[in-house]
Amino acid sequence: MSGGEPSLKPSPSSWVLVVLAWSLVSIPLLWGIWQTVKKAAVLFR
Amino acid sequence: MAGLLSRERIIAQPGFNRWLVPPAALAIHLSIGMAYGFSVFWLPLSRAIGITQPAPGDWKISTLGWMFTLFFVFLGSSAALFGAWLERVGPRKAGVVAAFCWSGGFMISALGVYLHQISLLWLGAGVIGGCGLGLGYISPVSTLIKWFPDRRGMATGMAIMGFGGGAMIGAPLADILMKHFATPSDVGVAKTFIAMGLIYFVAMMCGAFGYRVPPPGWRPLGWTPPAIQGAMITSRNVHVSQAWRTRQFWLLWMVLCMNVSAGIGVIGIASPMIQEIFGGRLIGVPGSLNELTLTQKAQLATIGAGFAALLSLFNIGGRIGWASLSDYIGRKRTYFIFFALGILLYSSAPFAGRSGHVALFVLIFCLILTMYGGGFATIPAYLADLFGTQYVGAIHGRLLTAWSTAGILGPVLVNYIREYQIDRGVPNAQAYNVTMYVLAGLLVIGFLCNLAVRPVEERYYMTSDDLADARGAPRRTVQRG
Repeated sequence: MSGGEPSLKPSPSSWVLVVLAWSLVSIPLLWGIWQTVKKAAVLFR
Repeated sequence: MAGLLSRERIIAQPGFNRWLVPPAALAIHLSIGMAYGFSVFWLPLSRAIGITQPAPGDWKISTLGWMFTLFFVFLGSSAALFGAWLERVGPRKAGVVAAFCWSGGFMISALGVYLHQISLLWLGAGVIGGCGLGLGYISPVSTLIKWFPDRRGMATGMAIMGFGGGAMIGAPLADILMKHFATPSDVGVAKTFIAMGLIYFVAMMCGAFGYRVPPPGWRPLGWTPPAIQGAMITSRNVHVSQAWRTRQFWLLWMVLCMNVSAGIGVIGIASPMIQEIFGGRLIGVPGSLNELTLTQKAQLATIGAGFAALLSLFNIGGRIGWASLSDYIGRKRTYFIFFALGILLYSSAPFAGRSGHVALFVLIFCLILTMYGGGFATIPAYLADLFGTQYVGAIHGRLLTAWSTAGILGPVLVNYIREYQIDRGVPNAQAYNVTMYVLAGLLVIGFLCNLAVRPVEERYYMTSDDLADARGAPRRTVQRG
């Protein structure tokens, strides 16, 4: 699409925010997955 | 100056990183995904008066279960009704409203537990919470697809994976909180509702305020739209008021409804099914479920719960996995696999049960659940491919009525067929066979509907002037003569 806004190059410091944001959602998700894996593990004993 | 919640206020500034948007969406989806985990409250609530066991006046689990039905009825209804509003006002305002509805539902339900009024639980969690579910579910779809035009499936898959993961966080958290708040005279549910309502409010508000929309004409660095797209990927747009008039909308509605009906039917019965089909073989002893001792039955119940947990892991894996794969192989081909493979797997399940192959049986259902999750996560990208990105959130909202329908159709079909078989003397272990064939039949319908999907007819697309009006941009001047 010509004449539109140029691409926004992410600022280098934005990657710090990205890591922080993903950590905030990943930690509880991984904790929940771990709880579920422990329950599911009984199938393999 | 644009209001704090307005769409204009959240247009991304230079330097913004698009990878900040998926965690915002995940914060909301992980919160509302707790809907799938609400059954953790059934047993404690059924003893709210008796505490250690049900007492006169205590609610039956079947009465409480209506909350679950209301969730999905109002999820679909609110998504359908407010999807167009969402496209107009933007994801931040929609996310904030979703946060108030979802959390507010918890607070009203807490009052319902305190006053022992079931209608407040139905109203709170079911109706108001259900509206929060619907708005929260569709809030990031349009935005993510605009930020990730190069990987639509992966983008929406990340968010919708969160919905599948919400119960994995919420159910054990609820257990921990109920144990913490319980006293000899209180099962602890009301305070748990309040605590979780507050936690989810904070999480969802962070997500809502984390949303940004790309400026007009934005595209990822170094990416240009392919000059020649496949026929099944449009660069134009269909208005939400026109989309439902197209054959493609209703074909995709059936695709989603059939895929979800088949999967939801299985999820609801996974635990009792594996116990009844394999009985003592699960713990290395002979005998059907009814012939086992209480201790052995308790062991089987733990294995049944483990099976259900394993299925939920494959459910969320399928959401991100299949949706991301669809970016490479195409949406229609992805659903072709879902239905073709699904028909084969459902039809094979009775054989696995009859022959005692526990591992094969488990594998079959794990694969089925990946495709159940994948079906949810890939459909927004399929809609964007066919109808364009301008109104994809609103169109997705209307399509979610298929989920509401499936939420009733799937469990009713499965339970009714099972009861019918048992009433006619079919042993419990074999009562699921016909069910599996019926579910395979649903997938045949879905297969045929997906096969019939073609590009939308020319007359349904918006003109460039209509699109400019919709975007609030200047119209192109048309020179005549």
